[in-house]
Amino acid sequence: MPPPPPILSIRGLQIHYRTDRGVIRAVDGASFDVPAGAVVGLVGESGCGKTTAARAITGVIPANASVVGGEVVYDGRDLAGLSHRKMAPLRWREIAFIPQSAMNSLDPVYRVGAQVLEVLVDRGGYDRKRADARAAELFQMVGLDVKRLRDYPHQFSGGMRQRAAIALALALEPRLIIADEPVTALDVVVQRQVLDLFKALQRRLGLSVILVTHDISVVAYVCDQVVVMYAGKIVESGPVEAVLTRPSHPYTMGLYNAFPDLQRSGGTLVPIDGSPPDLIDPPKSCRFQARCPFQQPRCDAPPDLEPVGDDHYAACWRADDAAELRRLAESPATWERSPA
Amino acid sequence: MGAVPGMTTLIEVDGLKKHFPVSRAIGEVLAGRRPVVHAVDGVSFNLHQGESVGILGESGCGKTTMGRPLLKLITPTAGTIRFDGADLAALKGPELQAFRKQAQLVFQNPFDALNPRFTIYRALAEPLVNARVPRDEQDELLLTAMRRVHLSDVGQYYDKFPHQLSGGQLQRVVLARALVLVPRFFVADEPVSMLDVSVRAGILNVMREVRDTLGLTAVYISHDLALVRYVCERTITMYLGIVVEDGPTEDVVRRPQHPYTQALVKAVPVPHVDQSREPLPITGGVPDARNPASGCRFRDRCPYAFDRCAEERPALKPVAPNHRVACHLLD
Repeated sequence: MPPPPPILSIRGLQIHYRTDRGVIRAVDGASFDVPAGAVVGLVGESGCGKTTAARAITGVIPANASVVGGEVVYDGRDLAGLSHRKMAPLRWREIAFIPQSAMNSLDPVYRVGAQVLEVLVDRGGYDRKRADARAAELFQMVGLDVKRLRDYPHQFSGGMRQRAAIALALALEPRLIIADEPVTALDVVVQRQVLDLFKALQRRLGLSVILVTHDISVVAYVCDQVVVMYAGKIVESGPVEAVLTRPSHPYTMGLYNAFPDLQRSGGTLVPIDGSPPDLIDPPKSCRFQARCPFQQPRCDAPPDLEPVGDDHYAACWRADDAAELRRLAESPATWERSPA
Repeated sequence: MGAVPGMTTLIEVDGLKKHFPVSRAIGEVLAGRRPVVHAVDGVSFNLHQGESVGILGESGCGKTTMGRPLLKLITPTAGTIRFDGADLAALKGPELQAFRKQAQLVFQNPFDALNPRFTIYRALAEPLVNARVPRDEQDELLLTAMRRVHLSDVGQYYDKFPHQLSGGQLQRVVLARALVLVPRFFVADEPVSMLDVSVRAGILNVMREVRDTLGLTAVYISHDLALVRYVCERTITMYLGIVVEDGPTEDVVRRPQHPYTQALVKAVPVPHVDQSREPLPITGGVPDARNPASGCRFRDRCPYAFDRCAEERPALKPVAPNHRVACHLLD
């Protein structure tokens, strides 16, 4: 079955941060697609470039960051480097953003309802009466009492704020949602409730989603596709089931073995020793080489993403031996080195 | 809870309460009311020598507040805590100093826990200096502690400043610092929540080793059941300031008895595509701890609540050896 055409196609994206220490190559040649109607998890650890890459799609990156290369093709148009003025009509209407902490998207001094109305009226051209009706409809959609539109953000619990942030993102019926760690700050019970709501709305509205997260269990729960980033590069991508059951990059294997799993009893968590390279002066080799238990001389040259299965790609010279490496990766002894 | 055969009790917590005053609305001031948050509201349990216990719960359940009086960092509103038979409230002078050496806190955020202007050596030596350990004994103790956290190549770390180390190395230093005085007891509050997954596993493994080699009694405070299961043989679940379930971790994970623990276990995400996606049996979040419900505090969210739950607060009762649950359903 051929995959549906992508709604978003990122090719060779490069984003640099200018800092006092030098230029940080935060995203260094990332390419992936978001199929229409799919939830794509962008997963990795702190500093891997996942948030920067996701934010660049809507042009919301810090002042010292710039897109220095590559394309972000949305619906046939390249958005990379588009001016704020040209991006503006796309924001909210086509592409909407859900931040990690809804406290960052809700202004504490205005009632939540006023902020929903602002988006509807100022950005969406709604008249006041229709905007009121739409705001109420949105709150119902996300399971919030319509009366709470009159509340201030501080009167909401964390879960309610995240629901309000979802309502806000959906206000102008966008087709693509970018959610940055949308449930990370929530307790497990509320996290589960918000994920269930999010997934139900995504299905019902046929939304395409990029979900940025460090948590592979969140990926397993809601995503269709996953893109694994390490040190500014994509190391593996593919359908969630394939990547989680047959990881083909040693980093993905390591990440999986380090992840506590309530269904797996006993066993030892296996850390990945060492730390990611400094992205001011990244190694010319495979970026995972210094931490990889399976490295070989040929890893001195950076590997490209190559197909390893149906729609499944990995950037590893030893991807053909992945089955054997997976077996070895399960043993703590394989990963033992000096501590990170 | 009755003493477990073959185990000595190190800490006895009896009827512990900690209430915090909250800012008052004008009406409350005029009416002379002083509202409080019932952060911990009547908790009793014993900790045995060498036991690792997880205190599990969501934000606002009182788990962090629970850890502080165990180290005599805050004074309880009511109740007593005994350490090795001695009432913590009565400890003063040399006895208090001796207690401080034996009971340590492992901080949550390694990036905040160390003074940025101190070298790692100075940070590690500080507890020894404060405890008046003779200078010529210090280096040996530091080296031992650093070996325990697998940073044996101390020359690499001593002269560095915190910002020069990775998060994982820093958390090891924080742990080493808590171990230099060879304590008998430590409380770790969300010890790995600030770290990346790949680094987290290493710290958890060190904590397991330390527990086993030193025979430490440890309390891990966490919202993460998978983590608690990895390092603790016993789990105490808290909800709105009270203990709702207390039992061997494996039993709590496999056969949770309290409806709240059942929901928590169900809600923990797992890294498999093939998993239950049934809706949770409970809705909503942890309510405000200012006006907890009468009777059972969980009844508003409990799918099985019945009349008695509103009338009577369920006591913790044994359901199996070493396993206690506070729920009327189990009568």
